[in-house]
Amino acid sequence: MKALVRKEFREQVKVAALGLVIYTLLLLQQYRNYRLLPHATMQPLVDGGFLMSTAWFCALFGAVLGWLQIHSERRPDLWAFLMHRPITRTGIFLGKTVAGLGIYALVAGLPLLGFIVWARLPGRVVAPFEPAMLQPVLAFFLAGTVCYFAGMLTGLRQARWYASRALGLGVAIIVFTLMAERPEFWQGLVIICIGGAILILAAWGGFHSQGHYGGQPAWGKASLTGALMLGSLVVVFAAVVLLSNFFPRREAAGPQFSYAMTKTGAVFKVTTGMGRPPEVVDLEGKPLLDAKTGRMIELADLRRQFASGIDFNLEPDERNRRQSWIRADCSRFRGWGATPATNPNTVWYYWDRYGRLAGYDLVTRRFIGSLGPRGFARDLAGGGDRFSNPMGDRRERTLRTATTVFLVDVEQRTTRPLFATPEDDPILAVQEIVLNGYDWEYTAVVTKRFIHLLTGEGKPVWSIPYEPAYPDYARIQVYFLEPPGQFALWIAPSDRAKEQAKGKLPTHVVWLARDQGVVKSADLPGLPAARPEPGVQDKLMGCVAPPAFVVAGPLFEGGDWPTGIRRDLLRLSLAGAVLVCLPIGWWLGRRYRFSLAAQAGWAVFHLLFGVAGLLAFLSVQEWPAREACPNCRKLRVVDRAQCEHCGADFAPPEKTGTEVFTPLEAG
Amino acid sequence: MNEQPVIRTQGLTRYFGARPAVYELDLAVPRGGVFALLGRNGSGKTTTIRMLLGLLEPTRGAGTILGYDIRALPPEARARIGYLTEEHQLYGWMSVRECGEFQSPYYPTWNEKVFRGIIGHFGLRPTTQVKSLSRGERAGLCLALTLAPEPELLILDDPAVGLDPVARRSLVESMIYLTRRSDRTIFFSTHQLPDVERVADHIAVLDHSVLRACCPLETFRNSVQQVRLRFPSAPPPLPKIPGLLQAFRSEGELRVTCVHYNGATEAALRALAPAQMEPVPLSLEDAFISYLGDRGEKSFILSETEAQP
Repeated sequence: MKALVRKEFREQVKVAALGLVIYTLLLLQQYRNYRLLPHATMQPLVDGGFLMSTAWFCALFGAVLGWLQIHSERRPDLWAFLMHRPITRTGIFLGKTVAGLGIYALVAGLPLLGFIVWARLPGRVVAPFEPAMLQPVLAFFLAGTVCYFAGMLTGLRQARWYASRALGLGVAIIVFTLMAERPEFWQGLVIICIGGAILILAAWGGFHSQGHYGGQPAWGKASLTGALMLGSLVVVFAAVVLLSNFFPRREAAGPQFSYAMTKTGAVFKVTTGMGRPPEVVDLEGKPLLDAKTGRMIELADLRRQFASGIDFNLEPDERNRRQSWIRADCSRFRGWGATPATNPNTVWYYWDRYGRLAGYDLVTRRFIGSLGPRGFARDLAGGGDRFSNPMGDRRERTLRTATTVFLVDVEQRTTRPLFATPEDDPILAVQEIVLNGYDWEYTAVVTKRFIHLLTGEGKPVWSIPYEPAYPDYARIQVYFLEPPGQFALWIAPSDRAKEQAKGKLPTHVVWLARDQGVVKSADLPGLPAARPEPGVQDKLMGCVAPPAFVVAGPLFEGGDWPTGIRRDLLRLSLAGAVLVCLPIGWWLGRRYRFSLAAQAGWAVFHLLFGVAGLLAFLSVQEWPAREACPNCRKLRVVDRAQCEHCGADFAPPEKTGTEVFTPLEAG
Repeated sequence: MNEQPVIRTQGLTRYFGARPAVYELDLAVPRGGVFALLGRNGSGKTTTIRMLLGLLEPTRGAGTILGYDIRALPPEARARIGYLTEEHQLYGWMSVRECGEFQSPYYPTWNEKVFRGIIGHFGLRPTTQVKSLSRGERAGLCLALTLAPEPELLILDDPAVGLDPVARRSLVESMIYLTRRSDRTIFFSTHQLPDVERVADHIAVLDHSVLRACCPLETFRNSVQQVRLRFPSAPPPLPKIPGLLQAFRSEGELRVTCVHYNGATEAALRALAPAQMEPVPLSLEDAFISYLGDRGEKSFILSETEAQP
């Protein structure tokens, strides 16, 4: 096998050199971009440009390399020269793969390693670093190997439909998409492994059969079929998306209801949908009329009268539950601010791992210390004191612990308590409120039992009990009314609680004034939730979606797919599989005389995977010719020794009387 | 001498689409000697060889080579079979020496002397790159790579195609050299009948995907005979003659080529009452062309030709 590995290395040396140059240039461009920004406040290892360059390069280079390794020997005689050597087909596959992956590792790995080393050298990058930040680039690097096997399979495959040779690339597309969307890194790795295993086995099988489906080991056949089914799925979905652009999007069935508050504090009920103009009525059901025209007010006019406000969504873990691991790894810190006016210039990041602000000197490009609730420290740990802001909490002046909101001054490297609460009433959320676009006017703090509105300096404006209480009531809105000093507070049920109570939970509204406290309060009755119905695009998707995926999809997505739509999609999907795919597959199986076991196996496959399964089936099967049986005159397939109708053998070639045969004698 | 054939097929068939490329091939190649597979272009020679080597899946039928099933040839079988492809394709970037270095590690029986001897015979320098070799030189290199492992069975797919007479002669000499060991078998397809005549013991003839002859070379040569019949006037119409391959009619002469020429054939011809009847000696090439040419009667009488629409 060594000779084969050496040969492959030598054969692809030009492609490797070209790839090396291209990727090195791409990374140099990233380096240059970073160096050109004098106050660059990013970690280049999680920069979008770097990750996209790496993802595209690894995918394309992997696919091209895999394809070239086969294509360069695709001439039948050269392929035969390679295949006819005393080594198993598995050995030849391994030889090629070891060389290919070795080249891939060198070409993509060396520049990448250089870039990582540069970014990790002290004094180079003015940003925090954690080993987990290497996970996205590592995942893209590994996913490139999936593309390598997809390219190899494309080069190997012999097929009636020429375009179906490239369907293996669909697996790589699915792997890249799913891998990047999963919430956990290990799940991304599992997807890479599954996609890689499918393509490895399919390519390995191709070496046994010169790229044909027939003649492969069973594992190769199964993997090839799976790979082509996934590729077909990508093609079918892309076609549906293109086609559905000509149709309207999903619409809600029936009317949609909502409440709106104007600047004067009045509450209106707005009804939209049903193909009618929006209807705006007050809480007593009287329509809101336009003072000028005397007609029902337009929604656009009403919107101009809406009060401005802020919104807290305290639904447990709702914001982070669906976040992809790549996004999480790229958001392990966020820029807090810089101090260009002071000497030395510093840049600060809120670093989630330590719960502190980490400061860097922009001149020396080195870490200078960290800022925690108890003030500045030369190291990252400080005295163990840490803030508890979640990463998605975009504050600019304040940070908080469980019981205290701190005003942070990075110029002075100090923190000052702005608000404190007892330990049994921890802080749930804080918002800095800027009403006129630039001036910090208020700070809203929600604790477990109270809702507080403070001035920018931390003086209380009002404070009222958080009732109805958290966690059933997790949506809080504070409106700033006119004349100034008037407020409205909405405490609404969480989506989960609303769903459990079937929309019957009311929304509690409180009107407040700066010096008077609570002026009045009201409970707005719960509004029925709109039930979205599948649009044309959903229906088309449903028809072509594999029933197995429609059933299993919600398990991967967290199980919160709207039940009604899921049921409709499953119905459509099963209808497509049962009414179209199954009969066509069954008819073809009968026509070409599959065994009963094969017929049954394919029938299950068609039922599970629908249109994509049928396309994969049509892609892999090479239908045998049929000719009339001389005995029973019925058409019979030519790949069997006996007629499937009457059991007759094939007729020997017709004699012409000119045959010259002698019994075999040893030479 | 081992009586077991080195190659045996039963009903071996391969379709490409609806067209059979090889149909119901029953072939037995004896051990030792040189076996030539003949046929016109597209008659199925290369397809047969590829199926025998497990490089192409048969549509139906079975076969063995050195006793191994052709659908699952193990590495040890391949080590005993040398295969020279039709186009003599190799890696263009390799030098002659590198080709040897690439090939040799796979074969425990690799004989460097043979390799060097053959590339020397073809005048190849070890440092020359394959892409700068002529077709004949490339064929020589391929032959060296095929012969150096000292295979028990050598399968050559039209090895002389595109070669000049000198290169062809060198190739044939190499084949003769190879057969010095009596247990070694050469199975080759070709169009070069003089080469066949020089080296082959047995031949098989494929005609339109069907095996029509499989016999010792001499048997084939003796089976195909031509007779010239002279007539004082235009030759009479030809009756149905068993084994008739071709008949050429010209002014006062009828030349008839038959297979299995025997007393019945002679009687049928004498019934035409020719003034003279004499056998015409046939070379293998003539016999082969007659065998694979269009069957039936052709006329060279100008008046008859012009009379046809």
